[in-house]
Amino acid sequence: MSALFVLIGISILVAGSFLAAFLWSVSNGQFDDDYTPSIRMLFDDNPKKKTSTPPSSKNNTNQ
Amino acid sequence: MAADHHFCCQGCKQVYLLLNENNLCNYYDLDKTPGLKARGNFVSGRFGYLDDEATMLKLIQFQSDEQINVTFSVPQMHCSSCIYLLENLHRIEPGVKQSQVNFQQKEVFVIFDPRETSLRKVVELLAFIGYEPYISLKDAVTKKAPAFNRRQIYKIGVAGFCFSNIMMLSFPEYFSSGNIEEPGLKTAFTWINVALSVPVLFFSASAIFISAWKGLRQHLLNIDAPIALAIMVTFVRSYYEIISGHGAGYLDSGTGIVFFMLIGRWFQNKTYDSFSFDRDYRSYFPLGVSVIEGKIEKNIPVTQLQRSDRIIIRHEEMVPADAILMKGTANIDYSFVSGENAPVEKQKGELIYAGGKQMGSAIELEIIKEVSRSYITQLWNNDIFKGNKNEDRSYIHPWSKYFTIVLLSIAVGTLIFWSFFDPSKILPAVTAVLIVACPCSLLLSATFTYGNMLRIFGRNKLFLKNAAVIEGLAKINTIIFDKTGTITHTNAAVISYEGIPLTGDELAIIKTVAQQSAHPLSKIIAASMPASPEKLLTLTQFKEYTGKGLEAVVGDIPVKMGSANFIQADHEFVTHDTGTSVHVVLGKKHAGKFIVQNQYRQGITEMVHNLKQDGNELFVLSGDNDSEHANLKKIFGINTTINFNQSPQQKLDFIKKLQLDGKQVLMIGDGLNDAGALMQSQVGFSVSENSARFSPASDAILDGSRVLLLDKFISYAKAGKKIVTASFILSILYNIVGLSFAIQGILSPMIAAILMPASSISIVLFVSLLSSYTAKQKGL
Amino acid sequence: MQVEKFYYDNRIVNNFAFATIVWGAVGMLVGLWIALQLVFPQLNITQYGSFGRLRPLHTNAVIFAFVGNGIFMGVYYSLQRLCKARMFSDKLSNIHFWGWQLIIVAAAITLPIGLTQGAEYAELIWPIDLAITIIWVVFGWNMFGTIIKRREKHLYVAIWFYIATFVTVAVLHIVRSGQLPYSWLQSYSWYSGVQDALVQWWYGHNAVAFFLTTPYLGLMYYFLPKAANRPVYSYKLSIIHFWSLIFLYIWAGPHHLLYTALPNWAQSLGIVFSVMLIFPSWGGMINGLLTLRGAWDRVRDDVILKFMVVAVTAYGMATFEGPMLSLKSVSAVSHYTDWIIAHVHVGALGWNGMLTFGVLYWLIPRIFKTDLYSKKLASNHFWLATLGILFYTIPMYWAGIQQSLMWKQFTEAGQLKYTFLETVTYMRPFYAMRSLGGTLYLTGVFIMFYNIYKTVKKGKLVANEEAEAAPLVKEYVKHTGEHWHRVIERKPVQFMIFSLVVILIGGIIEIVPTFMIKSNVPTISSVTPYTPLELQGRDIYVREGCYTCHSQMIRPFRSETERYGEYSKAGEFIYDKPFQWGSKRTGPDLAREGVGILKKTDGWHFRHFREPSSMSEGSIMPSYPFLLTQNLDTSLTIAKINAMRSLGVPYEKGYENFANSELMTQANSIRINLKIEGIEVPANREVIALIAYIQRLGKDISKNKTATFNK
Repeated sequence: MSALFVLIGISILVAGSFLAAFLWSVSNGQFDDDYTPSIRMLFDDNPKKKTSTPPSSKNNTNQ
Repeated sequence: MAADHHFCCQGCKQVYLLLNENNLCNYYDLDKTPGLKARGNFVSGRFGYLDDEATMLKLIQFQSDEQINVTFSVPQMHCSSCIYLLENLHRIEPGVKQSQVNFQQKEVFVIFDPRETSLRKVVELLAFIGYEPYISLKDAVTKKAPAFNRRQIYKIGVAGFCFSNIMMLSFPEYFSSGNIEEPGLKTAFTWINVALSVPVLFFSASAIFISAWKGLRQHLLNIDAPIALAIMVTFVRSYYEIISGHGAGYLDSGTGIVFFMLIGRWFQNKTYDSFSFDRDYRSYFPLGVSVIEGKIEKNIPVTQLQRSDRIIIRHEEMVPADAILMKGTANIDYSFVSGENAPVEKQKGELIYAGGKQMGSAIELEIIKEVSRSYITQLWNNDIFKGNKNEDRSYIHPWSKYFTIVLLSIAVGTLIFWSFFDPSKILPAVTAVLIVACPCSLLLSATFTYGNMLRIFGRNKLFLKNAAVIEGLAKINTIIFDKTGTITHTNAAVISYEGIPLTGDELAIIKTVAQQSAHPLSKIIAASMPASPEKLLTLTQFKEYTGKGLEAVVGDIPVKMGSANFIQADHEFVTHDTGTSVHVVLGKKHAGKFIVQNQYRQGITEMVHNLKQDGNELFVLSGDNDSEHANLKKIFGINTTINFNQSPQQKLDFIKKLQLDGKQVLMIGDGLNDAGALMQSQVGFSVSENSARFSPASDAILDGSRVLLLDKFISYAKAGKKIVTASFILSILYNIVGLSFAIQGILSPMIAAILMPASSISIVLFVSLLSSYTAKQKGL
Repeated sequence: MQVEKFYYDNRIVNNFAFATIVWGAVGMLVGLWIALQLVFPQLNITQYGSFGRLRPLHTNAVIFAFVGNGIFMGVYYSLQRLCKARMFSDKLSNIHFWGWQLIIVAAAITLPIGLTQGAEYAELIWPIDLAITIIWVVFGWNMFGTIIKRREKHLYVAIWFYIATFVTVAVLHIVRSGQLPYSWLQSYSWYSGVQDALVQWWYGHNAVAFFLTTPYLGLMYYFLPKAANRPVYSYKLSIIHFWSLIFLYIWAGPHHLLYTALPNWAQSLGIVFSVMLIFPSWGGMINGLLTLRGAWDRVRDDVILKFMVVAVTAYGMATFEGPMLSLKSVSAVSHYTDWIIAHVHVGALGWNGMLTFGVLYWLIPRIFKTDLYSKKLASNHFWLATLGILFYTIPMYWAGIQQSLMWKQFTEAGQLKYTFLETVTYMRPFYAMRSLGGTLYLTGVFIMFYNIYKTVKKGKLVANEEAEAAPLVKEYVKHTGEHWHRVIERKPVQFMIFSLVVILIGGIIEIVPTFMIKSNVPTISSVTPYTPLELQGRDIYVREGCYTCHSQMIRPFRSETERYGEYSKAGEFIYDKPFQWGSKRTGPDLAREGVGILKKTDGWHFRHFREPSSMSEGSIMPSYPFLLTQNLDTSLTIAKINAMRSLGVPYEKGYENFANSELMTQANSIRINLKIEGIEVPANREVIALIAYIQRLGKDISKNKTATFNK
């Protein structure tokens, strides 16, 4: 079952990377507040006033 | 526009307009009841002290030229609309760069640009839109610790990950009953397991070892000792077997134990983010105060207050230190201190204690004691406030001290036995005993029971500081009540009238007069009157003698209302008042008096009855006058001691005395004046009408509406102990099964792997279900 | 550091939405067509339209074109808003979009012309696999770019599901695509037989998990609360849901191979983890449904919520059924039957389909700043779709179980009660009903098409939706006294990474050498490599997608050994690249077709290929006249032999040089056999090679019965 080695190796690798992600997110305080985000995502962030047409070059609208 | 909305007050309307121009109006669509009440009392100058450099430094978390970070506690937030509004502050005040809400902590984290706005402006904005931050001396003096321990989560994560992978890599061993055809595979699995187990042993399990070690250093075997031992043995033996190549070891069981233990502890450390159980006077006291030097008024932090400083106290502000009234008439509300709701009038030259709140026009005071030396605050110099009682610990059932001994003696027994019959079996047998007998299920039983009970108490608005309080509560045999706020409502009063019956017109007249005054009693009286048909009568004269009463002429009838001696000046009559009474003179005749009395909670009598049934001894210690003595006797019966006019210190000492007679005391009170007693007692509940509001240091915060569940709470806590005992027996049975294998030295990893989770999980289920069921039985 | 104004890219969302609808219609249309082919075999028109080639087209179109575009639509819409940022780069977005559509078109061309790798859901040939990898990377680059420059600190749980999808699918795809090309279009699998099977279902299962489930859970966690305008029932639960799902899913693959030649413990492993999966899955479903608690009145009159509720319910049913199916006793009955087909369609039509529709109805009016053209039509669509699912699945469940029982039924005399053909004819009316269900569902899709077309006409696409948010400001924290414990906080992360490296090194040290050993499955001495002609024939077998209807894996049940002969052993498949065990028995198993009771003459096979029903009355197998006329392409024989050798098949050195001459001699011998049976056909026809392969099936171990098998 040599294929099994590959699969297990890779599976553990993947699982491990997820564990790393988990540890990061905890240390980053992602889960300090486990309620407010579920409300926050309901809000739309439409701007203050009706404004002009979007600029032509879209890429830099982010900056 | 504003037309199609209805507003309770001008403030709300202004807020609406403000939001409207920043088109944040879907604030009004988000929730059925947007929590928008512009707390009208928005006085600029009130937050003046926030301009003070020293004060600011205490509040802010980070400061640079272009950015200041600060976290405010905003107890008023209660719905999604609040989050929306608070997170869109930057639209109202461009100086605010970012505002982020933590709803459970009831906190808002604000980043603003000091070049564009100021701390004071931000706070004023918040106050204006109805979310006045709660800023107190306490916040400034001590920065609060992080919400919860992330390290614990790391450990659970790591343990969980390694455990599940090790389990999955151990299954092949079991399913193939040990003979996997492929040569490389088996060794690969076991070695990956070893690699995975390392972090569990050295990182996740570290806490257990440390606590066990600490125990040993103090020459006592705490419950962590056998666990640490078991874990150690499990891993060492497994490593030995793997390295020496005659077995796959017990790594799955070993990591499993650690994982379940951690889960247990995490589950039990349920904390109530939005409450604080360790408040002292500083939590109530303002951070800054306006002082007069010569003619000019400036803000200084209260900590810098000196004797003979002149201070200004405005409407709704608190007197930070004992002081003499110099200018104006004070109308002091001591409810924070005594829980008493009726304000007291003070005249020029009278002493005003710290903690009182001024109601009405600004007054000028001269400090006679520094903050920390004041009457109410001295209480905290008492050393009961130094120690930390009911500290959170891992639970030890009385039996489990024996457990360790029994375990060890079994191990020794096995050793002796095999050394006679088959020395080769000594090692496997003894180690197996230590592995199987790991008391993790014993520990889980307590942690999960109490953890679950904490949640159930919480559902019933009794918020315990930690699970240790449950154990304390279960031992209680003496209960002490503070009158106001606990057995009576704080902010509801019953008003009764004694004297010549009044006609509709007369009522109307009295209402009209009462309405003219801002005095709380007048307000209560006015409110109690039926809305008179013929609207407000014309009132030709009106004069208020602060602290005495009212004089007015309605139509042609002269009216006088006020305290007994105010009336007695020209009307001779005897008076024996119970409660606070307002006498009325219509025309020339003394019509009678309105008596304002505390309102007792419904069903208090039967609760008291039940508590006595359960064999508890009851006492009442009240801070205020004995006007209620009769009523209290009715409720508590003659044989109950009821003391009035108790000073905080007296209350504290009273409890000390009881404890000397070996009583287990539960103190129930609100108000700062109970703080000492709450601290001294084995268990202290502080009653709060609204959980978001503030309560003195205590082991638990009990919502006013649930005071009557007290008897149920206590008996439930007692039941909890039984549940734990029951589950102990269950888990000991498991241990016996396991040991029966172990002592023969035939414990296969398979059995261990099955026994370990089986026992843990079934115990957890057992206690959770049982504790929930009992709660139902008790009606919680 | 001012409040920033920026623009959400709605055009890309619009593009993916459009693609979703179009490909959805196409994929389902093909599905309906092949469903009808099972009722009316004469619908297998020309070689390009035969079931074996269209079925992979259907599965690929529905999974990667319909659901795939659906995922991207949802991700591109929600990710921008959850991160409060426009997509990282419009260029990448467009490359992603057009690249993906190109891949789909390429698939739609290559599959019907018979270019396939012959592994379910991984049929696409290696150049396309390569393209997929590249485009997937583009997608990931774009996604992580957006996440990095986000304006909202917290990563909403949906984003976690997207990330998991990206990472895992990438890994799965790469591992499964392990192929050795022998021409510009064709290749052989690295793995062989049992190992190939293991890889295949590790991939196959996780493809379902991480392509059809996790991204859609992400979409559920975003669009369901949005549509209901109320927060998810428990955000905490959703977080736990995510992490536990991630840690469990990856292991569940082997349950697709129960009772096969896969080692027992590996099967059991698959079972255990599949069963565990029910907890996180149901956690998700309950969380989804409870989000609507107290708002059921709104569900009644909000068609979008209706779609979503059915979707989540279907998810619950499928994820309950899955673990059940992975129990050995259930699998014994359900495997190879239409029960599985029903199961996957509950997932595909119910969970993926319905959620996609819900999202479309919610999203299109928003990006076009208008209202849905007709709520009425939408709710008609809803009812058609729901009925469609019922009409599809119920007959399949029923018939599937029935057929399986008929396969297993014995007479008192101990003879099999039914011939395979009888069970097939029993199925036909149910296949007809299933097609009806499919028709209903598809009609719904066309109604939606019209409804959305009208909506789009009525509104105007807001290509760049204006938005503003404060930039993410660094949250400095006062370090007074706190510093020391922050240091410790970081430690475990480094520690974990370190120990992970250790694990990997250990793993590699174990893996590499053993993997060099070509195969450590004890070989059965009598198993020999395929002759060149058989190899060619086998490639035709793969090309025609015979594995979509015929299994080559006899399970150790009396009912199967009686019908097909001795049960299959792991050792028999070591030269099978790719393995052809199959997952469905619309036709009988072929593992022992060349030996024993099943052995038929070359002539029989010839006639059967020309017109199946002429040999077995009522067969629904397509006819393959073109095999009789097309010449076998021997130009690649050498390349194939070489490729096989480098993959460890023991053709001795230089064999390739006379491979073709050997091929011709074997072909001639078959031609002669056919001549004897009165069939005149040149030796260089494809059919000859295919016959050679079929006649070879199962021969090896019957050569010497004394061959020793591993237990």
